[in-house]
Amino acid sequence: MNIAEGVQVVSFFILSATMLAAALGVVLLSNIVYSAFLLGGVFMSMAGIYLLLNADFVAAAQVLIYVGAINVLILFAIMLVNKREDFSELPGRWIRKISTAVVCAGLFVLLGAMVIVTPWAIEPPSTAVVRETTVVIGKHLFSDFLLPFELASVLLLMAMVGAIILARRDFIPEQIQERETALTLPERPRELDALEGGTGK
Amino acid sequence: MNSGIDLQGTFIESLQDLGLTPGLAKLLWMPLPMGLMLIGATIGVLIAVWLERKISAAVQQRIGPEYAGPLGVLQPVADGIKLVFKEDVIPAKSDPWLFTIGPAIVVIPVFLSYLIVPFGEKISITDINVGIFLWIALSSIAPIGLLMSGYASNNKYSLLGGLRAAAQSISYEIPLALAVLAVVMMSNSLSTIDIVEQQSGYGILGWNIWRQPVGFIIFWIAALAECERLPFDLPEAEEELVAGYQTEYSGMKFALFYLGSYVNLVLSALVFAVLYLGGWESIIPIENLGALFGISENAPWLQVIDGALGITMTLIKAYFLVFTAILLRWTVPRVRIDQLLNLGWKFMLPVALVNLLLTAALKLTFPFAFGG
Amino acid sequence: MFNVLKQVTDYAKESLQAAKYIGQGLSVTFDHMQRRPVTVQYPYEKVIPSERYRGRIHYEFDKCIACEVCVRVCPINLPVVDWEFDKKSKKKKLNHYSIDFGVCIFCGNCVEYCPTNCLSMTEEYELSSFDRHELNYDNVALGRLPYKVTQDPMVTPMRELAYLPKGVLDPHDLPAGAQRAGRHPEDIAEELRAAQAKEEESKEEKVN
Repeated sequence: MNIAEGVQVVSFFILSATMLAAALGVVLLSNIVYSAFLLGGVFMSMAGIYLLLNADFVAAAQVLIYVGAINVLILFAIMLVNKREDFSELPGRWIRKISTAVVCAGLFVLLGAMVIVTPWAIEPPSTAVVRETTVVIGKHLFSDFLLPFELASVLLLMAMVGAIILARRDFIPEQIQERETALTLPERPRELDALEGGTGK
Repeated sequence: MNSGIDLQGTFIESLQDLGLTPGLAKLLWMPLPMGLMLIGATIGVLIAVWLERKISAAVQQRIGPEYAGPLGVLQPVADGIKLVFKEDVIPAKSDPWLFTIGPAIVVIPVFLSYLIVPFGEKISITDINVGIFLWIALSSIAPIGLLMSGYASNNKYSLLGGLRAAAQSISYEIPLALAVLAVVMMSNSLSTIDIVEQQSGYGILGWNIWRQPVGFIIFWIAALAECERLPFDLPEAEEELVAGYQTEYSGMKFALFYLGSYVNLVLSALVFAVLYLGGWESIIPIENLGALFGISENAPWLQVIDGALGITMTLIKAYFLVFTAILLRWTVPRVRIDQLLNLGWKFMLPVALVNLLLTAALKLTFPFAFGG
Repeated sequence: MFNVLKQVTDYAKESLQAAKYIGQGLSVTFDHMQRRPVTVQYPYEKVIPSERYRGRIHYEFDKCIACEVCVRVCPINLPVVDWEFDKKSKKKKLNHYSIDFGVCIFCGNCVEYCPTNCLSMTEEYELSSFDRHELNYDNVALGRLPYKVTQDPMVTPMRELAYLPKGVLDPHDLPAGAQRAGRHPEDIAEELRAAQAKEEESKEEKVN
């Protein structure tokens, strides 16, 4: 074993250990903010494993999209929704618990079977180093993976339209009426002219 | 093109001549560029801080730092030493772990991004083929650190500052990436070295700034916003948020934020120089000069001069951009948060998209000028 | 259709205008960079305050008649005049007088209206202290005269802009006898006196 291989093995074990530990932390910790930050750690170690597999573009994209966008959005959601609710016992809680356990166990069995059944060994072990990974990925995306690629773009478009509708409140009728108590101040009606592009330049 | 000087090859060869194995020689070489990068980035920051203080003083008709060293050049060093020896306060109600990790997460990606900056054909840490994309990916980690330190400080100003920083950097990442993408499309490669090579040969006329007049403005605005420089320094707007996410920090942890922001500024300027100002290329094409005087391209002293000139040109371009950033700081007032997001999503994003489409169209029509 | 086009052109025009204004601003700041710094290295160099400088108030206890005009003209009735009526001499007897410079706004009304000129403005402005109560000066502290900047051996005095020779903007390294631009008060007084003498002469001639 030369130095390069030794470095690869050591970093593989370090990355896997951090990934597993962080993933366990995401699930087991009670503080949701810690879970969100540890999720970032999971994504980062996954990017490291991609790097070990010579997939540099995928690793960078993993960092950009999962850490830079998705994890930040999760953190945003956690920090902006600051609603503290008291924990209350639900009447039929044991049903939920059992069904969750069944689903989890089923998933575990499925994944375990997948791990055992899949033939992992690639033959012959490819030593060809792909110099321009981006070119190869691009060719794959526009030939044999064209349908998933286009479907993903349609899905993103739908998500964008949904986000715009949610952001433009004038499409949704306001139903929530604040209960008037002695302490609430009369509030000005929310002005929507800025959204309709009428007065604002 | 000649191969230029190959420091790595020569170093490893000379170690092998001393009787070491190739693997060991390579192992001995590896920490050298890393250490050089750290030292270089730190010195670059010291210069940037000194320039910031001196130029700000000149703009306001003051003198600026004067007593620490000649012309006050040692002032940033004195600042750094002061920050190292200051007490490291961790607020009582804060989250000590996240509070400590936050600054590190902000600083490490910025330093890592120096990997991709080339100073000459062979004078770069690595030539990875995702080059510029790695920079964009790494710069997207910083908001997590900012959110972390903002949350861990347990202070409303810190939290607001952290949220603003994250919102700002994710919304300006998109125009930035689109502007970079137009350049990448012209050079057919993500590697920074290929991007510079594509601009070489015609001196100042070959630089991307002429082919991407819109792209370079978008890139510079977005880069200023990513660095949280004025006029986009909302996350640390001192009139509203005390100091944003840095409010509770002191001593070495504050120094890390300070260092990180200036490293980021210098890095953005370097990347700008590489993408739009032809990197290490001089204003007049130099390769022909050797042929003009009848000197062989492979003469060692010519290559040394070439390398030194490349480093100097890159640094001159980068520090010119730092200078414009500082001048802009004292010219333009800070934007409001709604103006910031309006500018990012309603102006820069569409313009960057149009720029990308135009570049693609021009590339198809004039393949000789726009990199076929 | 044309409406959309007009909107687009308007938007483009506005963007160009904004870019132009930023360019103008940059040229202003760049121009300022080449100007001479106006710095006075404060603890080592100090600007000489002008004659009409409104600094800390000086007070002469013996001149004061305790009329309390200063209190009445003060915007916030700040001076504290502590007197009692002496029945023997049938006069007010002044015990204490104090002004709190932490509250004073240095408007100079008290100095203006004082009938006996016992109040005056000095050129002292360095009033910092560790406790704000130390700024409440009593009649002894008010009676102290400030140090003159020109007499302090530790300080290089710098002239203000209006006291520099014509065309000079930098107070450093002035030639020894340099005089300020324009006519000096004593010159004006001399001229006035000469004019008055002339007038009187002509009057006398007319009478004769």
